[in-house]
Amino acid sequence: MLHGMYSQLCARVTPALWRHKPAVIAVLLGAGLAIPSAQADTQTAVATSNDQQACYVDGLSEQMQCGSISVPENYAKPNGKQIQIHYVVMPSTKPNNKSEALLAIAGGPGQSAIENAKGFDRMLSKVRQTEDVILIDQRGTGQSNPLQCIGDGFESALAVNESDFDTRVETQKCLDELDADVTQYGSLSALKDFEAVRQHLGYQKLHLYGVSYGTRMAQLYMRHYPQSLATVTLDGVVPMQQSVLAIGNAIARAFDLLVEDCANNTLCHTQFPDLKSDLEKVDAELAMAPKISQVPDPLTGELTQLTLTRSKFKGSLRMALYSPSTRSLIPHAIHQAANGNFQPITGLYAMGIDNAGIAMGMHASVVCGEDWQRITPELRAKTNESYFGQEMLKTFAESCAVWNMPAVDASFSQPIASDIPTLLLSGELDPATPPSWGELAMEKLSNAKHFVAPYATHGVAYQSCGNDLIAELVEQGSVAELDAECLSEDIRRNFYLNASTVEAIPTDADEQTALNK
Amino acid sequence: MSNKIITMIRKELIDAARDKRSVMAGLYYAIGTPLLMCGMFFLLIGQLTSPEDLNIKIDNANGAPDLVKFLASRGISNGDSNAEDTKNIQLIISDDYAANMAKGLSAEVILVADASNEKLQNSIRRLERSLQEYSGEMGSLRLIARGIDPRVMQPIKVNVKDEATPDSKAGMILGLATMTMIYAVFISGMNLAIDTSAGERERNSLALLLSHPVSTWEIVIAKITAVSIFAMVGLVLTLLISKLAYSFVPWQELGFAVSVNANFIVMMLIVGLPVAIMAACLQLFVSFMAKSFKEAQSYITIVLMVPMMLAMAASYNIAPDTIQWLPISGQLQALIEFIKGRELPLTQLAVSSTFTLAIALGLAIGMQKSLKSEKIVFGL
Repeated sequence: MLHGMYSQLCARVTPALWRHKPAVIAVLLGAGLAIPSAQADTQTAVATSNDQQACYVDGLSEQMQCGSISVPENYAKPNGKQIQIHYVVMPSTKPNNKSEALLAIAGGPGQSAIENAKGFDRMLSKVRQTEDVILIDQRGTGQSNPLQCIGDGFESALAVNESDFDTRVETQKCLDELDADVTQYGSLSALKDFEAVRQHLGYQKLHLYGVSYGTRMAQLYMRHYPQSLATVTLDGVVPMQQSVLAIGNAIARAFDLLVEDCANNTLCHTQFPDLKSDLEKVDAELAMAPKISQVPDPLTGELTQLTLTRSKFKGSLRMALYSPSTRSLIPHAIHQAANGNFQPITGLYAMGIDNAGIAMGMHASVVCGEDWQRITPELRAKTNESYFGQEMLKTFAESCAVWNMPAVDASFSQPIASDIPTLLLSGELDPATPPSWGELAMEKLSNAKHFVAPYATHGVAYQSCGNDLIAELVEQGSVAELDAECLSEDIRRNFYLNASTVEAIPTDADEQTALNK
Repeated sequence: MSNKIITMIRKELIDAARDKRSVMAGLYYAIGTPLLMCGMFFLLIGQLTSPEDLNIKIDNANGAPDLVKFLASRGISNGDSNAEDTKNIQLIISDDYAANMAKGLSAEVILVADASNEKLQNSIRRLERSLQEYSGEMGSLRLIARGIDPRVMQPIKVNVKDEATPDSKAGMILGLATMTMIYAVFISGMNLAIDTSAGERERNSLALLLSHPVSTWEIVIAKITAVSIFAMVGLVLTLLISKLAYSFVPWQELGFAVSVNANFIVMMLIVGLPVAIMAACLQLFVSFMAKSFKEAQSYITIVLMVPMMLAMAASYNIAPDTIQWLPISGQLQALIEFIKGRELPLTQLAVSSTFTLAIALGLAIGMQKSLKSEKIVFGL
């Protein structure tokens, strides 16, 4: 049970590699189009041969079918180096004729779909009653020739001061260690793998569910293999026209919404009347110099040095914005930090350490090839307005120079024109892909509906009735009947008012009355 | 087979077919049972699964608005206590809930329900699960707020690897279904067995038949064959109707699949044939022993309890291992293993089938002998 809860809390994934130098900045500032993920610390499905075999994935007791196919690392050289693309088929409960299945595509870029099987299974449980669900570890992630950047590691991630890093040097070190042609790990090669897996498994049509960066893969699928698709769901949409590096403004927007939410909530406002100034105060102080203190390590309990930098502070809060449950702790964490107590911030920061999730090498291949190169001067200026935007531009400028990815064609950034039934889901509170991005993706979709869930963050289907809508879409094969009403159901929870409660804190007088009753 | 026997089998079948009502009566079971079973499962699934919107009674809901909201997001709400769809489950939020919560202590909620009520069990479990989920989530966040990694709260991570397949999860239901199918061979031939033995004697046509230049063996074989054919027709019908009907039941709501596929049908027919022959012999033998048609009916009903018991023992796994060597229970267990996708216990299947045929042979010899006795032929 606890694990379930915990995975929900672990919702943002990116920080996996905080221990490793090259990753540190990339992670705190990475594109972060990840979804709420289960904790992924295991040997998941072990599929060694090309043959499909019964297997288990982390966190699910049920038998799945695992397998892999061999594909050329470089499709232009079909006889060159081959890599294995691993997949898992989660069989439907009801026996079906195997003509259709749902392919769920993970985010990141760099998350493993198979490591997130538990989350997908839970969210897609209704779909799984009738359809098989396929998870593919996209090339460069999970078990499919992962491009991990394993740096030297640190005694303590808490003690690190991020501004001491030389991104260029660390990225170069990572690149030297990888045994792969990193230029082949962009979305378009991966798309060919996906289609190859579909053919290998013999499904005639696929329903797609893409979340976060996975929506880019889904849109590319719509562009290149429309005949293979029955329906598409894009959850937390990254439109083709948008560079993910524009995320900086989305983060700033989500921070503003949080402050606003607290101000509109009587309990929160009474408890934290100066939230905005608290946040600005801590931010300004840390921008001057990091605060160094001794704290018990969140995991080991041993005293350790905490170098609280601006990057750690804002990065932790940003990550907390991804999931509604950790988001509810943010006002308390900010208020405590303003009063000199960094425990809640440390706790939030620690959620990221050690929580594997994003293959940073693959992340760099995608972002450098597809997003970095198309930044226009206007976008650069706009992105530079926000703290995260600035830092991200700086980091990727250095790492992409090393990674040296060829830029994708200009046509890559064209909007998708399609009449495949498509459902787009956006969360109003999303700190990564705001609803306006969903609107952008709608531009040339002629058979699509875009729903905005007013109380959801990133990954709408995980937090609302969005998953029911997907099941409906898959069943009916059309968006005509879909109704957004259930998304507006008020599922907002209270903010934490102290370190223990979300309910109104009774005054002494209240308590006396309660006792007398 | 000699022409005489074939002629006699034809005679038996024509005789049987002439009385359409009784033919149908025999086959009603084969057609009706799968349908009834499906109807029952439909109801059962409705009863067992927790409704999408679960309404319960929540006392002092104002004492914990966030908890109530969380439960609502899990589809559990405070229903009108007089409304019919409000389940008889009560959640009482204690008066000091908020105070204890604020201090970092455990806040108390009381769950009142009758756990022996099967219809409520799933709903109760769902409520408990939701409460635990809420508690776990808050516990984790409380730790985070204190700078502690919530993973320290989970010293052991249990990863279960369940070897069940969707088919084997349905074992209980398939066991029941297979049992009714095997039973179809007993019921479908029963009317004909009685009619062709005790019935013929009552109509005095048995003596007439015996006065013809045919041996008693030929008569016995013809009768057994005719009854077996009826039994097998019943089995085929049951299988076909099951295949159709079972696919309409929303099994997936129970988390498994029940399907009657072609492999299973073939397997069932092969395994069912010796059982059908034995059933025919048994019923004929008992009917010949009885003095009248009515008596035969009563005896057969009693005798049929034995295969019924064996079948039940096999499908519910309640008897010692020896039953896997016995007729009927042995075959049934082999069939259940087959559906569950496990290895077919060939030895057991061979032994129990041999047993079945041996019993059939014994009964046939008995019948052949008895037809030579005036006592039996004239029902004296």
